[in-house]
Amino acid sequence: MKNREKLQNLLLDVFLLNPQELRLDLRREDVDTWDSLGVVSLAVGVHETFGFHMTPEEATALRGVGDLIALLRTKGIHLDAEA
Amino acid sequence: MTQRPELWSLDDVRALDPETTRIWASRSVESRVRSELPFDRWQPDAPLPSMIKHLVAVGGGTLLDEAKRFVHDEAPDVALVAIPSVWGSGAEASPVVVLNRDGKQIRTGDEYLPAARAVWPELAESLSERRAIDACGDAWAHAMEGFLSPLATNELRRELAEVIRTMIDLPLTNDPRWFEPSARAAALQARSSVGLVHGIAHTIELPLARALGDDWGHARLCALYLAPVLRLDRAVGTKLHALFLEFDLDESKIKSAALRLFDDRLYQATLPVLEAEWRNVLRDRCTRTNSVLVRADHLAHFLTFLP
Repeated sequence: MKNREKLQNLLLDVFLLNPQELRLDLRREDVDTWDSLGVVSLAVGVHETFGFHMTPEEATALRGVGDLIALLRTKGIHLDAEA
Repeated sequence: MTQRPELWSLDDVRALDPETTRIWASRSVESRVRSELPFDRWQPDAPLPSMIKHLVAVGGGTLLDEAKRFVHDEAPDVALVAIPSVWGSGAEASPVVVLNRDGKQIRTGDEYLPAARAVWPELAESLSERRAIDACGDAWAHAMEGFLSPLATNELRRELAEVIRTMIDLPLTNDPRWFEPSARAAALQARSSVGLVHGIAHTIELPLARALGDDWGHARLCALYLAPVLRLDRAVGTKLHALFLEFDLDESKIKSAALRLFDDRLYQATLPVLEAEWRNVLRDRCTRTNSVLVRADHLAHFLTFLP
């Protein structure tokens, strides 16, 4: 499975989205479940899916999916790579 | 400064002035409570007289949480003395208030803590064996989910690990030694979060009670779902195993206790409601602070769980 697909599955599960609601340019304010609890479960899910711990500062600083993709890239995780 | 709630003896409670003290007790213990404590009865549908300084609430978690809400919202100058009739909820020591208002409402804050709590072990003497096990499950769920929470600090985990070690050594039966670790687990858990056991319990408790009757309360659901949730947490990641090792907790003994809380016949009866409510379980705030991410397809884990 490619990292892109893993990220999409993760976002569906963390934010309880329907597949048609999912876009990689979603911003935090577009997602009503991206609240403080969503930040916690996103951090938990990123660790399970991609194997690295987001710091609380990193997790709360994300303003949208684009920031998450950029953060993943800094950890060497590229969306088009095979996991 | 004295930490709330102060731990009182029953003699401390008896020494309160009957003129300025009222009692609110659940029906199951009311006659015994009124025969042993010299205070007039109060019911929440009546106003509390203005000279009242102490309200002694005696009952299970639901009654104690209602009393905490009442004193906070409607009688802030009254000191609440909370006496649990059974262990498990830890409501007498917890800043969390769970209210049944068209579904669950949860409030949290030190301002909800009772002024004092007391232990009256004899109130639990007539508890049935199954209800005693359920109460143990409630206490276990607070301790385990608080310990495993992604919001728990190492210091909190150290304290909860001590409580868990105490619980491991207690029999899962009617034993008043459960009151203290139960209160401690609830108070400590409030500093992190609970997880999927509570998410399930909060979500399906009311529909289940409507379908099957009042025996299917929060404590029973905690007892039934602790083992399946711990197995899910264990299967999804390595965190659970690592934390048990780091804090010197015996995983096999924890697993054994969780399985002794489990009853397959009772568990199977809950599954149709769990399946119908799964989407709401996923949205529950407790579920969203579970130790591992709870995904939509994890429902299958519960539907096929075998002890």
